Amino acid sequence: MTNNKLTVSHAPFWHDGDSLFQMNLNIMIAALPAIIFGIIQFGAPAVGVLALSLSSAMIWELVMNIISKNKISIGDLDAAVIGLVFGMMLPATSPWWLVIVGTFVAVVIGKTIFGGIGANPFNPALVGMAFLMLSWKAFFDFDTAYVNYEFDFTALAPLAALKFQGALEVAGLFPAGDLIMGKQVGAIGSTFGLGLIIGGIYLILRGYIRWEIPVSFITGIIVTALCFSMANPDSYAGPGIHLFSGYTLIGAFFLATENSSSPANRIPMLLYGFFAAVMIILMRNIGAYADGTVLAILLLNLVNPLIDTIRPKALGKGVNNA
Amino acid sequence: MIKRSFFTLTPPRLNYDLVEPDPKEPESIPIPSDLTLLLNEPIDSTRPALIKKGDLVEKGEKLRLYYESTEYTISPVTGTIASVDSYSDDFGNISTYLVIKNDQNQTTGTNAITYDLKDDIASADEYLRTLPGAPPLKILADDDMKIDTIVITCADSDLLSTTNQYVTCKFLDEIKEGTQILKKITHVPKLCITIPENLNIPGGFDTIQVFKTSMKYPSNLPAMVLKDHLNIVLPAGKNPEDMGVCFITAEAVVSLARAYKTKSAGFEKILTIIGKRETQYRVKVTIGTPLYKILNTFGIHINDQDRIVIGGPMKGFATYTHHHPVRPDMDMVIIQDRDIIPELSDNACVNCGKCIRICPVNVPVNILVRYLEADLYEEAADKYDLESCIECGLCAYVCTARIPLYQYIRLGKHELLTLRADA
Repeated sequence: MTNNKLTVSHAPFWHDGDSLFQMNLNIMIAALPAIIFGIIQFGAPAVGVLALSLSSAMIWELVMNIISKNKISIGDLDAAVIGLVFGMMLPATSPWWLVIVGTFVAVVIGKTIFGGIGANPFNPALVGMAFLMLSWKAFFDFDTAYVNYEFDFTALAPLAALKFQGALEVAGLFPAGDLIMGKQVGAIGSTFGLGLIIGGIYLILRGYIRWEIPVSFITGIIVTALCFSMANPDSYAGPGIHLFSGYTLIGAFFLATENSSSPANRIPMLLYGFFAAVMIILMRNIGAYADGTVLAILLLNLVNPLIDTIRPKALGKGVNNA
Repeated sequence: MIKRSFFTLTPPRLNYDLVEPDPKEPESIPIPSDLTLLLNEPIDSTRPALIKKGDLVEKGEKLRLYYESTEYTISPVTGTIASVDSYSDDFGNISTYLVIKNDQNQTTGTNAITYDLKDDIASADEYLRTLPGAPPLKILADDDMKIDTIVITCADSDLLSTTNQYVTCKFLDEIKEGTQILKKITHVPKLCITIPENLNIPGGFDTIQVFKTSMKYPSNLPAMVLKDHLNIVLPAGKNPEDMGVCFITAEAVVSLARAYKTKSAGFEKILTIIGKRETQYRVKVTIGTPLYKILNTFGIHINDQDRIVIGGPMKGFATYTHHHPVRPDMDMVIIQDRDIIPELSDNACVNCGKCIRICPVNVPVNILVRYLEADLYEEAADKYDLESCIECGLCAYVCTARIPLYQYIRLGKHELLTLRADA
């Protein structure tokens, strides 16, 4: 028998078959219902924004790979997910340069300069988003963005209307059923609540996001909004409009759950989701922004390393000579 | 290979295999012409060796390298030593291997040298360390160890293996005899036996406590048996032996019983072989037989880049040669085709948290691996529970980024020991 060259490696010799590519591919699949609805609602410009966002994010990653002489890493689809989620948060009428600048900030400043996949302390898509929202605020006014569109529903951005007119005025304008079915103006991928929920549940069942974060996030929205609404129903709206408009649901299932900027232990995950939601409602009700989701989640990303130290004791630790 | 299921709300569940009811006799492999034995001691060319190339050895003869050596091996055949050379394992530990030429074409029936075995542990340790199943006699004979519990493991500790279960089903009486002998020679007050909960073993074990272990991996690993059945929490960085508990496989107990009956050593090891299509074979083979002899018997063809795994899929090691000999502590061999070998990567951890959820002892693997990648072993041990790891391999099994987590942890522990030894 000849002496073959065998593969020598180390235990374990089995793997469950999962990979980063699979994970990211599934996240993109989960985003499809909301995206398809967004494209139907906002037409060809939405396709343009999404395609540009996804491709430019991957190109930025490729450029950074080449500049930093690293292994080409766009194959794991992480940049594609950043680009896709980023595109979902943009209005369909965003100009091309806005998208490209945004993905640059998201991928290069938000991710690769921290060391690439897994090393980003903040959700890259949100870093890009926060940058754009602070720099070119006008483009994120959804009421002016869709001024040339004809809709068969109230073409008012729900959260902006809520902010500037008060809960009493907008009561009845936005029935929860309409909001959940996407009958609202907003970003491409954030209007179709039902699609986001279906995508989120798919990801939870597939084990690609951790259920604790979206569940505590949604609980946080409901509880906090309810508290405000009960204290002063005239100026603060109930949980319905908060939950199904703005970036809330995309935040719950696609933004807050971004792996490397969210906790991995159970209690920290619950705290993280809950307090991100509390911050959102605080910003919407008391703060200066109509929708505080982007900044609220970034803030909790900052807290993540601190709260993720709450964890169960490992076997045999802290036992004195037992 | 068990793959991820489509819906994975809960962590994957890996179950131990159960020996088939009424198992067949294992296939017997004839004694080959060349046998390889490993001696756990490096060659030191400055000292006069007791054995050299060309020496004649007898079946059952004790072979040591030097006069002062405490390590020894027993020749399974009568023959000549064909070569003596150095062998280095996967962590760079140097030992010695001997090739013995079986020039008399003997069968298993040839009588071995008889030993003067007395009813004490020292005399058993003198001759019987390399019995099939590798009884931990060195530990039991060590006065500093203070072993007060012996756990006989009829449940195999790694997945797929059914060697010890098979032995338990077939040779129950000899296990009982062996336990009596163990009791007599070690004077250890407490003897326990682990049996998989779904395995039906007739008859009681009198004074021996029976632990029914769960079918879910890793419940048969020593640390888990301690925790679940003996109520001992293994402190970080300690071995079961430090806690006074010694584990011995069912096969070793059977070998002990036979050795005491015949006053000589046995050399027939039972192995579970898993072929390329996960077909299972069971063989009876002489210690020292090169693996390719077994593979040839079953017509398992090895191609380039295939993998031969010794031990289980979770905790075993891959050998670089099919000449690797059967050793006393080897329970199973897995042959993996090059096409099914999972790829690993040098990706960074993405913090998905699957390892944390599957870890049976709550080690924060996601943070730990960052420290290990940066060679910060002391910090990893102090803050992130490096030494609490019971080395089950589940974290690396589920890792989305396909980081060799288990290897990082083993290497970390190894480096930590080196660091502490140097300090």
